[in-house]
Amino acid sequence: MSETIISIQDLSKSFGDHEVLRKIDIDVHVGEIICIVGSSGSGKSTLLRCINKLERQTSGKIMFYGKEIRDAQKEINEYRSKVGMVFQSFNLFNNMTVLENCMLCTRKVLHLPKAEAFDRAITHLKAVGMAPFINAKPAQLSGGQKQRVAIARSLCMNPEVLLFDEPTSALDPEMVGEVLNVMKQLATTGLTMVIVTHEMAFARDVSTRTIFMDRGYVAEDAPPSELFSNPKNPRTREFLSRYLAG
Amino acid sequence: MLNLFSIENPEKSWEWMIFLAKKYSDMFWEGTKLTLFIAILGTLLGFVLGYVVGIIQDAKINQGDNIIKKLFVRLLKIIASIYVEIFRDTPMIVQAMIIYFGIRMQAHIDITPVSAGILVTVLNTGAYMAETVRGGIGSIDLGQREGAWAMGMSPMKTMLYIVLPQAFKNIIPEMANTFLTNLKMTSVLNVIAVQELFMAAKTVGGNYYKYFESYLVIAVIYFVLCFAFNKVFIYIEKKMQGKNDYALAVEYMDNQ
Repeated sequence: MSETIISIQDLSKSFGDHEVLRKIDIDVHVGEIICIVGSSGSGKSTLLRCINKLERQTSGKIMFYGKEIRDAQKEINEYRSKVGMVFQSFNLFNNMTVLENCMLCTRKVLHLPKAEAFDRAITHLKAVGMAPFINAKPAQLSGGQKQRVAIARSLCMNPEVLLFDEPTSALDPEMVGEVLNVMKQLATTGLTMVIVTHEMAFARDVSTRTIFMDRGYVAEDAPPSELFSNPKNPRTREFLSRYLAG
Repeated sequence: MLNLFSIENPEKSWEWMIFLAKKYSDMFWEGTKLTLFIAILGTLLGFVLGYVVGIIQDAKINQGDNIIKKLFVRLLKIIASIYVEIFRDTPMIVQAMIIYFGIRMQAHIDITPVSAGILVTVLNTGAYMAETVRGGIGSIDLGQREGAWAMGMSPMKTMLYIVLPQAFKNIIPEMANTFLTNLKMTSVLNVIAVQELFMAAKTVGGNYYKYFESYLVIAVIYFVLCFAFNKVFIYIEKKMQGKNDYALAVEYMDNQ
């Protein structure tokens, strides 16, 4: 097994009395494409937000290359610049053009020279087919286009891992296709990805490992070939039954 | 034909208005300039103060930071809310008296009425603007911030590059409103002997015992100023909305 990038150890998260994550242990290795599936409210998105420190865990640790990420703002910023995140609602900066969106953080966080930041932005925008739209504002783009820009924007940071929080849930079926194609393309580049998704076919075909979450637990963690054809956990079987039958 | 500008023996009110406006045009002009000066400078500095205080009030205390930083942020937040409460809950005319006489009599600093007047305007504007800015920041979707945080941008830079530019656009109408209010509120500064428009009218009116006519003159001046500025602000607001279209970057059309 290749090197571990992120190690989630004994992670729990509660909102008040409501326990959302219960003692999660997951190791993310270099080059893995992990899809996290499960019903709504099972804690998938919260887990992803905890990995990126957008939520503070109640207990447990997040390790990055063997080093614990503590809660000091500086340490968190440094860590986040290496762990990209793509959101369900895109979160493109509304006050900036597509190009400015892709250059802001490479300039202000990584302090790259302008020319290099520009080259990176154009390279990644071309890869997602959005280069002609560099002058557009987010409000002038369709959902699928926005999500492709958001992916390019994250890639500009050269992240070690890219997290996807239901990247296609806010899109219509046609746009889902264009975003999934970009993600499939990305999967072939060897980038490590953790993807929370409801797209079962995508999870089955693209992931190297699929995690099924249920009521805050990791119910099953297996290669997709096993999880989708022969689920061990009864809850997994129940959840997938409609999909498997169809 | 009646020559409007050569009324020697005014009888009717409107004749008195023209007579007074003409005879004391220098005084009204000086008053207008001072009113504008205090309103513009006081509002601009007040906006800066309001942004700073608004940002402090919005700041979140990060539990993971060290104790000194946490205490410092908490202290700033307490000072900010005390300031805002005091200046929002007392009349400007009272603030003017307290600040002017406080500085002169208690601190023994020889402050001029104009400086004190600007100070009062700044502090007053700052308190109201802080609340406006806080509301403006609150109106920006949290996702905007999370998008920047997720790429390692610090909360301060996120505020500067992402949140404030968007909040600013949303609160332009409220900022225009504040300026117009200030333009009129400078009139209370006559209580600390600032020679602005209201003071001019009071002096002029006293000379002939024609207060009604004298105040009508400045009412017209205030109205014209506010009306003109309002039009300017509407123009700026339209300009800020930006273009609805964008140019396709044809050089990248082939996407290779």
